[in-house]
Amino acid sequence: MPDWLDIGVVAVLNGLAIGLLLFVVAVGLSLVFGMLDVLNLAHGALFLTGAYLAWSLGGEHPTWVSWLGALAVAAVVGAVAGGGLSLLTEPLARRSHLEQALLTLGVALVVAELLSAVFGDDVRGVNPPPGLDGTVDVAGSAYPSYRLALIGLGAAAALAMHVVVERTPLGALVRASVADRDMVAAAGIDARLVRAGVFVAGSMLAATAGVLGSPIYNARPGLDTTILILALVVVVIGGLGSIRGAFAAALLIGQIESTGRALLSDLASFLLFGALAIVLAVRPRGLFVTANGGRS
Amino acid sequence: MSLTTMVYRPTEARLDWPGRLSAAAAVVTLAAAPFFLAPYATTTLTRMLVYALLAASLDLLVGITGLPSLGHAAYFGVGAYMAGWIATNATPAAPLPLLAAAVAGGLAALAAGWVAVRSAGVFFLILTLALAEIIQQLAESWQPVTGGSNGMYGIPATRLGAEPLTHVAYLHWYVLGWFLVGILVVWALSASPFGATLRGIRDNEPRLRALGYQPYRYKLAAFVAAGAVAGLAGGLLATQQRLVTPTDLGFATSALALLAVVIGGTGTIWGPCLGAALVVLVRDSLGPSLGGHGPLVLGLVFIAVVYALPRGVAGVRRPRSRRTATR
Amino acid sequence: MAGSINRRQLLAMLGAAGVGAVAGGCGSSVGGGGGGPATPGGAIKVGLVIPQAGVYAPLGVDMKNAWDLWLERNQNKLGNYRVTTIAADEGEGPQTGVPAVQKLLQSDQVDVLVGIVNSSTALGVKDTVTEAKKLLMVSNAGAGAITGKDRVPYIWRTSFTNAQVSSAMGTYLAGSGKTAYAIAPDYAAGAEAIGGFTAAFTAGGGRVVREAKPAFGKTQDYQPFLSQIQASGAQLTFCFFAGAEAVAFVKQYAQFGLSTRIPLYGSGFLTEGGVLTAQGDAAVGVQTTLHYSTELDNAANQAFRSAYQAKYNKPPTVYAVQTWDAATVLNRALRTATGLQGEAIAAALGSVGTIDDSPRGPWTFDGQSPKQTFYLRKVEKRGDGLVNAVVQDLGASSQPT
Repeated sequence: MPDWLDIGVVAVLNGLAIGLLLFVVAVGLSLVFGMLDVLNLAHGALFLTGAYLAWSLGGEHPTWVSWLGALAVAAVVGAVAGGGLSLLTEPLARRSHLEQALLTLGVALVVAELLSAVFGDDVRGVNPPPGLDGTVDVAGSAYPSYRLALIGLGAAAALAMHVVVERTPLGALVRASVADRDMVAAAGIDARLVRAGVFVAGSMLAATAGVLGSPIYNARPGLDTTILILALVVVVIGGLGSIRGAFAAALLIGQIESTGRALLSDLASFLLFGALAIVLAVRPRGLFVTANGGRS
Repeated sequence: MSLTTMVYRPTEARLDWPGRLSAAAAVVTLAAAPFFLAPYATTTLTRMLVYALLAASLDLLVGITGLPSLGHAAYFGVGAYMAGWIATNATPAAPLPLLAAAVAGGLAALAAGWVAVRSAGVFFLILTLALAEIIQQLAESWQPVTGGSNGMYGIPATRLGAEPLTHVAYLHWYVLGWFLVGILVVWALSASPFGATLRGIRDNEPRLRALGYQPYRYKLAAFVAAGAVAGLAGGLLATQQRLVTPTDLGFATSALALLAVVIGGTGTIWGPCLGAALVVLVRDSLGPSLGGHGPLVLGLVFIAVVYALPRGVAGVRRPRSRRTATR
Repeated sequence: MAGSINRRQLLAMLGAAGVGAVAGGCGSSVGGGGGGPATPGGAIKVGLVIPQAGVYAPLGVDMKNAWDLWLERNQNKLGNYRVTTIAADEGEGPQTGVPAVQKLLQSDQVDVLVGIVNSSTALGVKDTVTEAKKLLMVSNAGAGAITGKDRVPYIWRTSFTNAQVSSAMGTYLAGSGKTAYAIAPDYAAGAEAIGGFTAAFTAGGGRVVREAKPAFGKTQDYQPFLSQIQASGAQLTFCFFAGAEAVAFVKQYAQFGLSTRIPLYGSGFLTEGGVLTAQGDAAVGVQTTLHYSTELDNAANQAFRSAYQAKYNKPPTVYAVQTWDAATVLNRALRTATGLQGEAIAAALGSVGTIDDSPRGPWTFDGQSPKQTFYLRKVEKRGDGLVNAVVQDLGASSQPT
């Protein structure tokens, strides 16, 4: 049945695009938790900030200049926000991790309200930069070229991250912190610098993901909660702190959302959390267990 | 340090004299409230009681057993829907809807907890969230029974004998009575040897296992108990509001309950009740007049509490001059 | 511990807060039924229940704008009563909506309620309003049951029902001889809209080849459905979406190249208000049915539109018109009503006759909901922006049974 196959190809391709976008969205959260044991519940709000930045700088008729500018500004804003989060959670570093997570939840509420005050409550549409706003013929169907670009970008980001984590001294520090934080401190590395650096990196990733995802998700109140929950699901399925796990889980979720919805349309609403429940029931620490997975 | 290391508060299961006096005074004030509060204030107070019971049941899980749940509202909602369904389709005669609600909440918690309690920490947090989202989706999809996304509206008023309870004051006393029953159950569980075992699991599970206990069973029992009390609270919601919607099962309600527990002070039972009162106050009394900025105030209050009150409202120390020997 | 406070300070703070809260709530709930003293003669308190925060806030802004504008142009009087408006935030759903209504009724002692966007809230306050014996004029919520199987004498409506809007499109498209693919989110409003469309469409001889229900509030990516539309062989697509989902669906419909191949039709909310701005060029050519468009060519609309634009610097929407008409209708009813109790106003509403000065064209009450003209609109570029140009007058219709 050629029709079914065509749909299948598009669905799988779309799953890949959404999955790679989800990876970019979730990897910052995974990093922060893996290295600091802090669940950064402000992650969704940072994503939304990036999305609103994409709208305010380019909006419906962006140019390449405004698009790249939005990415740069989002990176800066994310970095600043990360620094702020690091400062805010510093005094709580000795207390329970639940409290640090809840503090970030409070920050998320406040940031969402501020965004609503600045940008209003209307949905803001964002379009891809010129050249990427058309369609490409895939197996007889039209497919948006921006999503194909996302596949390339997401794959490049994953590769870059792999190289950095596996091959650079910075990456060695990351792996060491995820494996045994106390040892890293004992080796003389300043914990506060590591903390600040991780928050900055994670927040930058969240904000730039917001810019990249805005042509698909647009910018609206409530998007922060949606993205946070998606990122949480990806990160937990993948195994907290594991970037490889986040990658695998993101691709899995992307496929579930695309092909799953196409095949099992009646159960579509239950797919995401059903998958999460099944994975956690079978592998209670996620798919890729890290050393920290044992610690709760 | 792990995610669930709460600041441990020494067991004060037995109430000392000041504790007993303030408890009695609180009950008397709550009972007398309709005589000096205007109707809307009484309605808000009744709603506070409902959410306070929810927060107390969550505290049994979070504060006493050390299981942070982000999906506790699911059992609250299951109880609410059950109470509403019984009142609409079987009989609104008190206390049947409420008893059915508690049983339903407990059963749902048994089904979910059987899976959830195997994990711990952040995984438990997310798994409870996932299970709650599934239950909420069920409520939205099962339109013939739950009314779908519009919710279950027009629930008949509870009947005490032949009297329908529509008067604000009578409703308040009815809810207060059952609230006290629920709180007593939670407190009794917490003060019993069962509660001590739960605290042991919270503080040092491997050690308890070494002593021969089976933590899984205790955790599951705590989960079911918390679910049953949450179900009772849900039944009270259906009685008071006569409307149940899928939002009552959702992430926002669970997060609100967790907020209340943290603000009030984990592990103390009465602290979360106060926390719930504060959250409901901000949302319902101040919210409608704040021009839509209720969530902002809540967020700021939350941040302030996490900084200034590390053990929540209940954990605030007595002034130094009266420090006693116990920590 | 540095930064923390001790018990005395905390009790003092809580005490102060508590006294403040209680002082506002003083009174008695016991003894004597009914609400407090009625508003003194010649004055009326209106409770405006609108969303002021969250995803529906833009609708609330339009509703309040229209209400304020009407009062400003009518010497702040409804009937012969001087108006005091008290707004309360409905929030995003009944959890905040029901307390808002209760606050207005019990604490602020309003005489009439106007507004409500969320159908669940409107259905949920049915008993509250009945027991308080006050009138509620719904100026947005679209569930059929509100004035249908669950109606009560105290709740009237100046807006629409979900099925009413979509069945106008179903009747119109049935004559085209084309097959349809119907899609709406999986919640009550979506189900009602699809039901209304399908009933009218098939009654007129059309055939719906496939129906889809994406998860409400959880679907951001419509690719599986867009692929299905292509594969189904349908010749047109009918959809019902509102808010953020309308933006996402219409944009993706264009992004996947379907807008040039399979024409898109929908209920008017698909392209109404801020949503149209966000959709941008993707919405051009989309046709919808609704009981209002800013481009309507009658005298009342010309006046209304220029006044609204002058005061608020943006064009009005159907949500504004519905609330404007609520004021008009209440004004008429209060001129002949015997008092401010719910029954009196409801009785007067029954005899207001045709509302002939409404921006949407003349309409009447059929039961407790409007029987009104529906228009076929098409999104077109005009000047710098987009408008819903009126293509055809589809005649009047009531709430379907």
